[in-house]
Amino acid sequence: MTTRPPETPAGEAEVRPAAQAIELKKTYGTGQAVVEALSGVSVSFGRGAFTAVMGPSGSGKSTLMHCMAGLDRPTSGKSYIGGRDIAALDDTALTELRRDQVGFVFQSFNLVPTLSAAENITLPADLAGRKVDKEWFGYTVGQLGLASILSHRPSEMSGGQQQRVACARALVNRPQLIFADEPTGNLDSVASAELLGILRASVDELGQSIVMVTHDPGAAAHADRVVFLADGKVVDELEGPTAAAVLDRVRALGAKRS
Amino acid sequence: MGKVTLRGMAAHKLRLALTSLAIVLGVAFISGTFVLTDTLHNTFYALIGSIYDKIDFQVRGVAQFPSQQAAGAVRNPVPESLVSTIKRVPGVEAAEGSVNGYAQFISKTGKPVVTGSEPTIGENFLTDPRLSDLRIVQGAPPTAAHDVVMDAETAKKYHFHIGQSVRVLFMGGNVASFTITGIAQYGSSDTLAGVTFAAFTLPTAQLAFGKTGEFDHIDVLAKPGADKQVVQAAIARALPPGVEVVTGQTVANEQTTSINQALGFFSTALLVFAFIALFVGAFTIFNTFSITVGQRTRELGLLRAVGASRRQVFRSVLGEAAITGALASLVGTALGLLAALGLEGLMSALGFTLPSGPLVFEARTLIVSLAVGIGVTVVSAMAPARRAVHVAPVVAISDRQEATTVRHARWLGLTVASRVLGIALIVLGLVVHQVALVGLGVAAFFVGLAMVLPSIARPLSAAIGRPIASALGTPGKLGRANSMRNPTRTAQTASALMVGVALVSAMAVFGASVSSSATASIDQAIRADLLVTAKSSGSGSFSRSLATQLSRLRGVTASLVVYGGQFQVRQSLEHLKGVPSQGFGPTVDLRVKEGSTAALAAGELLIDSSTAKSDHLSLGSTVRVKFAKTGPGMMRIGGIYKDNALIGSYLVGEGFFVSHFHNPQPGAVLLDAGGGAAGVARLQDAVERVLTNYPTVQVQTRSQFEKSQLSSVNQLLTLVYALLALAVVIALIGVVNTLVLSVFERTREIGLLRAVGMRRAQVRSMVRSESVILSLFGAVVGIVIGTLMGVALVASLSLSNITVPGADIVVFFVLSGVLGLVAATWPARRAAKLDVLAAIATE
Ligand SMILES: Nc1ncnc2c1ncn2[C@@H]1O[C@H](COP(=O)(O)OP(=O)(O)O)[C@@H](O)[C@H]1O
Ligand SMILES: [Mg+2]
Repeated sequence: MTTRPPETPAGEAEVRPAAQAIELKKTYGTGQAVVEALSGVSVSFGRGAFTAVMGPSGSGKSTLMHCMAGLDRPTSGKSYIGGRDIAALDDTALTELRRDQVGFVFQSFNLVPTLSAAENITLPADLAGRKVDKEWFGYTVGQLGLASILSHRPSEMSGGQQQRVACARALVNRPQLIFADEPTGNLDSVASAELLGILRASVDELGQSIVMVTHDPGAAAHADRVVFLADGKVVDELEGPTAAAVLDRVRALGAKRS
Repeated sequence: MGKVTLRGMAAHKLRLALTSLAIVLGVAFISGTFVLTDTLHNTFYALIGSIYDKIDFQVRGVAQFPSQQAAGAVRNPVPESLVSTIKRVPGVEAAEGSVNGYAQFISKTGKPVVTGSEPTIGENFLTDPRLSDLRIVQGAPPTAAHDVVMDAETAKKYHFHIGQSVRVLFMGGNVASFTITGIAQYGSSDTLAGVTFAAFTLPTAQLAFGKTGEFDHIDVLAKPGADKQVVQAAIARALPPGVEVVTGQTVANEQTTSINQALGFFSTALLVFAFIALFVGAFTIFNTFSITVGQRTRELGLLRAVGASRRQVFRSVLGEAAITGALASLVGTALGLLAALGLEGLMSALGFTLPSGPLVFEARTLIVSLAVGIGVTVVSAMAPARRAVHVAPVVAISDRQEATTVRHARWLGLTVASRVLGIALIVLGLVVHQVALVGLGVAAFFVGLAMVLPSIARPLSAAIGRPIASALGTPGKLGRANSMRNPTRTAQTASALMVGVALVSAMAVFGASVSSSATASIDQAIRADLLVTAKSSGSGSFSRSLATQLSRLRGVTASLVVYGGQFQVRQSLEHLKGVPSQGFGPTVDLRVKEGSTAALAAGELLIDSSTAKSDHLSLGSTVRVKFAKTGPGMMRIGGIYKDNALIGSYLVGEGFFVSHFHNPQPGAVLLDAGGGAAGVARLQDAVERVLTNYPTVQVQTRSQFEKSQLSSVNQLLTLVYALLALAVVIALIGVVNTLVLSVFERTREIGLLRAVGMRRAQVRSMVRSESVILSLFGAVVGIVIGTLMGVALVASLSLSNITVPGADIVVFFVLSGVLGLVAATWPARRAAKLDVLAAIATE
């Protein structure tokens, strides 16, 4: 990462967080079979910060992400993106919010199989009928090392390449916030390191805000801050994590639970 | 294993329902056809039985032309004196003669009473109630010359009552007033399938029908207890030559045979369309099973991995097909009862009057419907089942890859073979006049064609999708990409539509060519400004005095009387026309190709070129002929003229015609006003004033005549389109089916698209684009193939013009696109409603 970005995002001191949840609750099912996936989560994700979300399987990490990204509606509580309460939005407005304000990187099946890498990257802009900033596109693609595979279909790419294309799609839009749900879950260690490097760099060099769900303490160590979830609640937080510190907290939480 | 099949079916009720729909509709068509024709058959049979049950024998003239069907045969009348001869034969209880002819009531508004296309019959009222097929329900039999008994149906519809006066129109335009003395039923029915009848006293009837001193036939009743065979033989001995006696049963059988023939043709025609519908349905089923076997690869692999044998997997897929087919056929058979009513409605909407009766449901209907429905389903599922067998156990564990490769090489030989076989069968079928063979050939040809479609599916969908993608942006682009991603599936879905559209296009080419050929022949052959002809519901001819009166009207610069009648040529009964041997130049251009019009004066036969070609006749050949008046003879062919819509296939000179027919009557009068629109209009007005007394005769300008000639072609075409519409509907169900299965298969992908910002409307637009591309793909191939088939058909019939109706074809194309949009409605809605989280949450 040697080239300078063509344009840095507005550097003004913004106090408002990129996303914020207040007393977020989410229950599934009814009656006897009711499951409370989130039981009153209040959390905020800072602007220009890289936040990791950790917690045991079934602790509500994905649910939290879905509710905060406008993929799902919370049962109660408030959820803000860039100061906008997203609970008040209808389906079309939510869709447009995801398209224009949020970026996604999922664990797998990130790309539309019938579209080339380039087309997948510009998909949100194309859906909006918006032109992509050519210079910015070129810069991002160059940074992520995708220039040579732009015309490839997903079936012709490795898993790491697919995840990088998904990152490029999220970054090219310059969204308020990027949500990544276990983005390295299916990758080998080399590809994982590459992807985490890209996410880190986009925070440092471009001021992008990122929230990443992960199981891997090593991955969480790339973040500026780690939020720990258990049983649908925020149970702990860690600023400036190292892999060892994260592992300690995870062990401590595991011990408390058992 | 059976349990797995059933569980799987229960889990995919929707798929089951959609697959079934194609079969349900096709089977309903078959069962409906059977129910309708059985019902009609029974109704007619009962009616005929009720009429001829009463009489023991009928005495009548021997049929003139043995080749003709007994029921409608031309017979000479028998002398009136024969009745007393028969009455003296031992064992005869009663005998009474009857005459009948054309008699049409004129309603109170002055319009003739018409009942669809059924005849209007006049007869003498039989005085012996034991012989009469009429039953007076009100009033009394006719006694005076101007008395008439009216059928109950006409009385009811046109509000006639006893004692009122009614005008009756007879052959030749004579109109007379009668007093209604009675209202009668025919047997037990108000109407004989829409026929109207007027019954007069014997002298009135004989006078009106020009049969004074004669009877058409004599009905005879044997004494109770007499040996009927002995009586019949005794009657036969008393009869002069040329007269025969037959039993009432024979007459009834003759009538039934002729009705059965008509119904047989009718039911064959309907069954052809039912099989077309099922054939198209077979593509849909094949396609559905192919897709589901593809989607179930993992499941099938798992079954194989845990020890299911190939045979078990094969049986599981075929078992599903058999159960689907059986359920669908049962529903379809039941629906056929409704379809019978629908078909009846369609027929009467097109102007056919059918008698009504209780619906008849024979065991044969159920058996054939079930056998065909299950058979088609199982055969269609055979290839997918074979593919399922080859699923390797490992795929259960490995990640599934979408198979998009097209196996050209293996198919190529098979497809060429099946198309060659198809064409061979078509040709053979045409030569030996076997509809089934032609149908089989066309089917084989289509199957062969469908097999090569996958190899052109990708480039063709790409080309069709390009304008759609550029008009609709990203959703259109994705729709186009989806239509290209699985060429086999696209091709299979489009195949069904291809068949429907191809048949429609072929019919359009055929219809347009027949129309333009007829128009061209009329334009070139007829020079007269006006044509006077009998209306089709009338008798087909009119009096000579009317012809003379018309040709003497002021403003007529030239006229031509064309005589018309029937004669037998080379063992078949044909229409013969007669024109004066000269002076027809200003009204008709005979366009003689070989020989000359001098043949007319020489008493030779002239034939048109298509008859010459089909019957292998040439100038100077002689043919065997037979006339009712003069009997058998030989005629030399003295001329061959180009096809002529007015003249028809056989022509002689007026002199010859008049001397060979009992009662030579004109079939048409051509009048020329010497050109000039005003003169023509004035003359037409004058002719129409004369014709007010002749409701069965009409005057038309040349263009009106052309239109009326074409109206029957257009009516037939409308009927065929209506019946083919079902095949197209079934093809569309196939499109719906494919789309639903594809949407299901792409749940994650659609969820992903929604997650990164695709609006619901855009999802719908994506599915619709794919559907329109699929449909247009089928339409394009169908139109090309259909047009070629139509041209081949027209060429083989050696019509003079081959016309490809461009506008119609554009309409078919656009309509296919619109239907594609309609087919997409529901799958698009399903896709748009999919949960966003479905993409991320699965697994
Ligand atoms: N669609 C759903 N229906 C019912 N329960 C669900 C659904 N999605 C998630 N859950 C439940 O909610 C809880 C949290 O799930 P999730 O957010 O996926 O956990 P995580 O991502 O931390 O593993 C779990 O107990 C899970 O079983
Ligand atoms: Mg999760």
